[in-house]
Amino acid sequence: MQPSSRTRRVRRLAARSRLHAGRTRSRAALVALASCLALATSCASRSQPPATRAPATQTYTQGGSTQERAAPLLLHGARIMTGAGVIYPRGELLIVDDEIVAVGVTVDDVPAGTRRIDVAGKTITPGIIDTHSHMGVYASPGFTAHADGNEMVSPTTAYARAADGYWPQDPNLERARAGGVTTAQILPGSANLIGGRSLTIRLTPDARSAEDARFPGAPAGLKMACGENPKRLYGQKGGPGTRMGNVAGYRDAFQKAIEYQRSWEKYEAAQREWDQRSRGAGAGDEPAQGELKQKDRPTPPARDFGLETLAAALAGDILVHMHCYRADEMSLMLELAREFGFHIRSFHHAVEAYKIADRLHAHDTAASVWADWWGFKAEAFDGVRENAAMISRAGARAIIHSDSAIGIQRLNQEAAKAMYAGRHAGFDISDDEALRWITLNPAWALGVDDRTGSLEPGKLADVVVWSGDPFSVYTVAERVYLGGALVYERGGEASPRTDFELGFRPGDISEANVPPAPAEGRAPAPAQDGGRPR
Amino acid sequence: MRPTPPATPAAPSKPAAYAGDGERVVLVGGELHTGDGVIINNSVVELHGTFGVVARQGDAQLSGARVIDVTGKHLTPGFIAADTNLGLVEIDLEDSTRDDARAVGQPTVDLIRAAHDTSLAIHEDSSLIQIQAIEGVTSAAVTPSGGLIAGQVTWIDLLHGDAALVHKAGVAVRATLGRAYGGSRSATLSKLAETLSDARLYQTRKPAHERGESRELAAHHLDLEALAPVLRGQTPLALTAHRASDIRAALELARRYDLEIVIIGGTEAWKEAEALARARVPVILQPTQNLPGSLDKLGARLDAAALLDEAGVIVAITAGGAHNVRNLRQEAGVAVAHGLPWERALTAATLNVARAYRMDREYGSVTTGKVANLVVWSGDPLELSSQAERVFIRGRAIPMVSRQTLLRERYRDLSRFSP
Repeated sequence: MQPSSRTRRVRRLAARSRLHAGRTRSRAALVALASCLALATSCASRSQPPATRAPATQTYTQGGSTQERAAPLLLHGARIMTGAGVIYPRGELLIVDDEIVAVGVTVDDVPAGTRRIDVAGKTITPGIIDTHSHMGVYASPGFTAHADGNEMVSPTTAYARAADGYWPQDPNLERARAGGVTTAQILPGSANLIGGRSLTIRLTPDARSAEDARFPGAPAGLKMACGENPKRLYGQKGGPGTRMGNVAGYRDAFQKAIEYQRSWEKYEAAQREWDQRSRGAGAGDEPAQGELKQKDRPTPPARDFGLETLAAALAGDILVHMHCYRADEMSLMLELAREFGFHIRSFHHAVEAYKIADRLHAHDTAASVWADWWGFKAEAFDGVRENAAMISRAGARAIIHSDSAIGIQRLNQEAAKAMYAGRHAGFDISDDEALRWITLNPAWALGVDDRTGSLEPGKLADVVVWSGDPFSVYTVAERVYLGGALVYERGGEASPRTDFELGFRPGDISEANVPPAPAEGRAPAPAQDGGRPR
Repeated sequence: MRPTPPATPAAPSKPAAYAGDGERVVLVGGELHTGDGVIINNSVVELHGTFGVVARQGDAQLSGARVIDVTGKHLTPGFIAADTNLGLVEIDLEDSTRDDARAVGQPTVDLIRAAHDTSLAIHEDSSLIQIQAIEGVTSAAVTPSGGLIAGQVTWIDLLHGDAALVHKAGVAVRATLGRAYGGSRSATLSKLAETLSDARLYQTRKPAHERGESRELAAHHLDLEALAPVLRGQTPLALTAHRASDIRAALELARRYDLEIVIIGGTEAWKEAEALARARVPVILQPTQNLPGSLDKLGARLDAAALLDEAGVIVAITAGGAHNVRNLRQEAGVAVAHGLPWERALTAATLNVARAYRMDREYGSVTTGKVANLVVWSGDPLELSSQAERVFIRGRAIPMVSRQTLLRERYRDLSRFSP
């Protein structure tokens, strides 16, 4: 086998638009600010002239009241933790439209009409990002009807997509938003060796479909799972029944993807040749020959959505997220990935990552871990509180993930526990580094770190205003901005609710909520959409 | 609440004496939170198996003791896990490592297991025990699970490797409301009432029952016998109940049979807060559980502990499960973030757990004569930045090491491995 040449071929093929419609993401703003990003402090007080931006009005109407933002917005007086290496003990943050325009000790060139909000005594961080959530595919209440996260019919279901099982009315989403979460990866479950495509969402309060929640331009992820789950669930259903069977399953699937690619490559070569010949024929005066050529026109191979997904993963267009607990298994998977020419973007759960933190660093593979979960199964038995700190210390990317609709509400506290455990054991973890475990590092793992994950000019204004130190147990999120729009306010009636809970909370069924009789001939309210990013 | 009656059967009711533990340890200078709302600055605490002198420094004459200066530190009673299968489970998904349920999957006739005594199965060498202990959890109410009546709750001290870690068996009988029996909550309630009636009947008809001259009763005679202390009001019936209607049903059951009860879970208990306070029924809840995970939990909210406390209910806080009951202090901290006063939160994780199981004469606060379970914290004990620096259980300083710290040290330096 010649992995390197095959890798190149696969990458070249997959880069074609057939596999992946072009990403819509605009990088212009970031490119312009590239030098600024490297030197956050010196650029911090720079702001862009606001004149070029048309202030948009963004309105959320949920829970019976209205939150409105007329751009621009200046948050001032708070401690600002950028997640990009800088912490301002007292700073300012300017938001215009959906983007952060400036952050620093002070912001110059504040546009006229800017709304100023005094948040002295508070702490501002980037919106929290979770690489591992099943919100929407394992929703609350835990009805059997809501179990849409594991396509448990075959160990390899690369064709399945979390977006197709996602219920945007999951009440868990609202609670995650109240915990400062602005972006999350919704993954298929871990029953299967290859579970399918993930969906990266924005925690927008008014999504009526998965597409409404989708993070524009974010690459899909591919969910894979090592170890106990697949062999336990398929051991009596045709296999795999052992870890040997698991790995044989990955090999088989990726080999098929390579062969699938090869068939497309062959077809495309034939098609090119046909194109050339038919162009040559068209130049002459022999229509009969042209008709003949139509008959010779090559037939494309049958499209297979599962193999297409795997081929995109081989090409690096879909990021591989692999549920794997044990150090030996993660090592094995790193070797297997190298053999087949794909890259594992992040291991998930990775309870033993601390044992191979050096290898994770060498492979540029992140580890999404819990602060302290352990022991619920044999492969999770060797958990230690210092896992994230020891990953960080080795230079690898540590991420604190939730895999829980409870845990996702306090990822700041989970990061705090992991940070302090590290410090108490002598691993020097800074506040900024621990913050990156739940912001910039997960943004990288999801391939959206050019749009979110830190408070830097040009990035989406995904911002949390905390009541105090985000690493304190007593701190709560007070305001959450998603792309500049206020989507959560503590104690505010505006905090949006999903449909499911309407009518179940105290006070819902009351005279106050009886709507006025509709006035005859009243025109419908005009749409108020300022091109809000989702 | 009724006064705590003397211990029922089993296990030593006094803390055992330990070889080499004759030494009197005295902690001086710490900020002591006794667990019952009192703060003593610059304190003196004397520990043997039980607490000796507990006072402000200067008020006590101490000689011949080993004095440890804990100036600048916070002292609290050891935290108590209120509803855990600690000691009965090592790995949740490995059935061979679990002893927390009797006859799982058996027919409904076996759903009443009041005689199931967990104290006989506690594994003192379980790695979980020390992992919790070095983070400040010093005692636990170990509860069985499954069925309508799961069995008896055991009170343990978290002394790893010590065969005498069981302090008292049968401190409560554990049962579950909701849909535990017959596929409906009404079937569950009527079966529970039938069982209690038969248990009462059995007490008066034992000889007839043994002669086979009694009608068939709701459960095995050992299970009915095990309910006798509950019917006498000596030990509480600890009931899992979430929906408000189940909590009302539990209160009604307690009234009808004159029982002492404890509510576990209590998602919607805040809706019945006044009735619970009037009946002096403690509620054991987990503050972070705010999801409407089922139709029984639509009223889940983060400020439930605060609402109950405000209404005068005895609130105890649990962290759930076994592997991370060490997060009890975080649960308490989250309750504080959502309105529970700080000292009340500490009480909820210590003294009120003991109260719920009628163990407060011996546990739950730093009080002369109580079992000397105490933690020295580097700072605010509920805060994430703090750590337990010293932990005393039955007056003994435990080694601050666990299977997890050993693993950490083994992999601290990766350079000795091949890349």
